[in-house]
Amino acid sequence: MFSLRLPIPLEKTLITSLPKTSTTYSAYSGMTRFQVCHRYLSNSITKRGTSVVAFQDEADGEIFVDEDFLEVDPLPVELQPELMPKHVAVIMDGNGRWAKMKGLPTSAGHVAGTQSFKWIVKLCYSWGIKVLTVFAFSMDNWIRPKVETEFLLNLFERSILSQVEECKRKGIQISVIGDTSKLPKSLKSMIANAEETTKENPKFQLILAVSYSGKYDVVQACKSVAKKVQDGLLHLEEINENIIEKELETNCTEFPYPDLLIRTSGELRVSNFLLWQLAYTEFFFNKKLWPDFGKDEFVEALSSFQNRQRRYGGRH
Amino acid sequence: MDFRDGAHNLYHIIVAIGYLGLQLLWYFMQIIVSVWYHISIVGKLRYLAVVIESEEAHQTSKVIKLLQWLDSVGVKNVCLYDMNGVLKKSKDTIFQIMKNAKSIEEVNEDVTHHAPDHMTLEFVSYVDGKEAVAKAANLIFVENFKRHDIGGELDHQILLESHLNQALQIVGCKGPEPDLLLVYGPVRSHLGFPPWRIRYTEIVHMGSLNFMRYGSLIKAIYNFTKVRHNYGT
Repeated sequence: MFSLRLPIPLEKTLITSLPKTSTTYSAYSGMTRFQVCHRYLSNSITKRGTSVVAFQDEADGEIFVDEDFLEVDPLPVELQPELMPKHVAVIMDGNGRWAKMKGLPTSAGHVAGTQSFKWIVKLCYSWGIKVLTVFAFSMDNWIRPKVETEFLLNLFERSILSQVEECKRKGIQISVIGDTSKLPKSLKSMIANAEETTKENPKFQLILAVSYSGKYDVVQACKSVAKKVQDGLLHLEEINENIIEKELETNCTEFPYPDLLIRTSGELRVSNFLLWQLAYTEFFFNKKLWPDFGKDEFVEALSSFQNRQRRYGGRH
Repeated sequence: MDFRDGAHNLYHIIVAIGYLGLQLLWYFMQIIVSVWYHISIVGKLRYLAVVIESEEAHQTSKVIKLLQWLDSVGVKNVCLYDMNGVLKKSKDTIFQIMKNAKSIEEVNEDVTHHAPDHMTLEFVSYVDGKEAVAKAANLIFVENFKRHDIGGELDHQILLESHLNQALQIVGCKGPEPDLLLVYGPVRSHLGFPPWRIRYTEIVHMGSLNFMRYGSLIKAIYNFTKVRHNYGT
């Protein structure tokens, strides 16, 4: 009985007639195609022998793997399941620099970044992490050129739209935090729909920080508290840090405080992300640019987290 | 014999001059490097925060040594933080030894623009973080309700970032956002440093205070001076 433990090259699997598929990249005109999927091919077969269906793009011979058909990724032996962080936060930095290094337009960097994003969602889901919060779009990013911000929000909308049903099937709850007042109507509507569709029986929660800033979160929490005082639900004397914490937007999850924060591209700051929530969060700063951040780098971050001594300063 | 003695003496003179020359060159290079560090640092590193794990913060002598190193490289504005307020209790001892240091409360002008003839030290703990934000928010609410009681508008939406900034100053949180934050301790976390002040702060983990090294400190500060901030662009 042959074992399916070892990865089997795709050319030896039974792949019959391959339906044609348009790639997500083709939706964006003027973009140069590039190869990003090599890591999917090397992890193509799981222990349970689930085969991967490969779709060959006939236009230019590149092979793209639709990860919707990939099963749960097994936990690496160097990680201990009982020491996994419950909540991981990620600042996905470096798309623009990645594109510049490759001689590609910035938009190509953002598209490549979405692949890393999907990969890390899959790994968190597979390895028992309960919550993943990603800094998709900062309030500070509004100062970027309009062309870029529109592209980013468009990319975000399409990515979520294409994954909502899959998330519902897998028990992935989508939540969005941030000041949505500046977002296009179609995106606001899509966010509301995604949150509503995926809210039941979640096994895993994906929080997308869009048009978000840590200071905005604290200010809106204070406004909520003021409204409660005005409505007679709270007395002024009762206001303390715990009351404010309950009104933060991260209160949409059972685990609002990240155990681990990962930032890519070598930058060593939090850039106005989850300021209130990061008091006891372990930081892991990685030099890889976000599109290059993959399974190995994530395992390194988790392994580092598990090895460190965690102390809470006597406050917990 | 005279020739030999003369040659011998000449040799010694040449060696001595050469040795002196090398020493002078070495001191000259040290001065150049120090001036270069000062120029690099003074412009960019206007405010430094040092977070120390509370158990390690009891080692006052090490904290003082760290401050002396910082003073020697031209870092004049330092915020010292530990969660439990251990450093606040050591304040008097630190000021007794750091005679050219003043407390931030004594400095009237913008702390990052004072003359570099003295150090400014700020001592902060957990109560100056989230609790201070709650106090500042409370202050704004009280003012707002007072205005309402005497016929003014009651508008809970009036609370903006700038109002919280001002209110934080009133409740005693005077310090600016640090450019760089050094963490001494076993954990790579800022241990509750005031969240309102670390938006764009560079955070560097330095390891345990027990093993602090001058070279590591210089390297961390120097690396900071090479950083370029995008601020979202």
